[in-house]
Amino acid sequence: MTTSYDSSSAVDVIDATVPLAPTQPTRMLRLQREKVVAATQGSYDAMFSSTVEGLSVAERLLVALHACGVSKAATLAAHYQDRLLAEGVDRELIAAVGSGVPVADARLRTVLAFTASLIERPIEGDKAAVQSLADAGLTTPAIVALGQLIAFLSYQVRVVAGLQALAAAEVSQ
Amino acid sequence: MTLPIRIKGFTNEVLSWKPWLDPVDVAAATPAQLAALDEMSPQARTSPYFLVLAHQPEMLLQRSIAFNAIMFAPGGMPRAERELGATVESRVNGCVYCASVHAQRFEQLAKRNDVISQVFEEPASAGTTSREKAIVEFSIRLGAEPDKVSAEDVRMLKEVGLTELEILDLIHSVALFAWANRLMLNLGEPVFPPATAAS
Repeated sequence: MTTSYDSSSAVDVIDATVPLAPTQPTRMLRLQREKVVAATQGSYDAMFSSTVEGLSVAERLLVALHACGVSKAATLAAHYQDRLLAEGVDRELIAAVGSGVPVADARLRTVLAFTASLIERPIEGDKAAVQSLADAGLTTPAIVALGQLIAFLSYQVRVVAGLQALAAAEVSQ
Repeated sequence: MTLPIRIKGFTNEVLSWKPWLDPVDVAAATPAQLAALDEMSPQARTSPYFLVLAHQPEMLLQRSIAFNAIMFAPGGMPRAERELGATVESRVNGCVYCASVHAQRFEQLAKRNDVISQVFEEPASAGTTSREKAIVEFSIRLGAEPDKVSAEDVRMLKEVGLTELEILDLIHSVALFAWANRLMLNLGEPVFPPATAAS
């Protein structure tokens, strides 16, 4: 998971989803904050790392797909859908989560309900919601991982949206 | 000493935060957990919030690097305005704890808190200059309706004099607090100082 990341040439997940071409002005602008670029990709890698226990990579990708659907972030949702397909996750399950249809599995249902609530109405977070995750079998480190993941997705959605607006302003000048 | 601001449940007073999950015991922390805490700040080893996040050290480490790069990087948007973006996002999300911390940082940097009172009272109309109003409006929009942000919003910021790097810094700051607020609001709760506990 410690793949070295050369932000000057490599296209990261944000660049790919906005999308930003390698020499586009908005991408050159983005590279002026190189540490932010690297830590954003570093955070993404940490969120979906196979070394995180208690919440599988497939579960985390389903959380991401659901969060992007709820946030109406179409390009990011497509990214997570592609990753889920690459992981070999059941296509019907991906379609259900992508369109917000309730899933059969009780644990996943609890996790996705927590996701939607935290994305849309963060103020409603309470101790009972955290307890519902523990009751569904999540350990404390797994609950922290889930909270970080959903919160990171809120960040990622806004970075992509902001860069899309900057890129659109660039071409309309 | 000036009187604290207390408006609609928000304040610029120093609050504490009580976690709903067991924090990592710093005496038993792994080297990776300690490195992640130290990357955040010299005080993180004694903060219940960061000790809860230390359950996932790599996530905390990367988030800490992102946080410090976004809020403290030289050049671009003045740091006080980044703190304003953070405070607006926290106000809109209802994160009383984050709003108090970043209201204090704005005041330390800008040497005034007039706009903070306005943000707490009614964010939609807050701002003491056309530039500040545009920053607040953009922060609300990106925070609450990221899918609606467009080239027109960028043009409005440019019209009041923001450079592209300043706009990028504002986007990062608001996005960062979309992240931070959700952790603060869902892994614990703010605790008011005893004298104001009844307010």
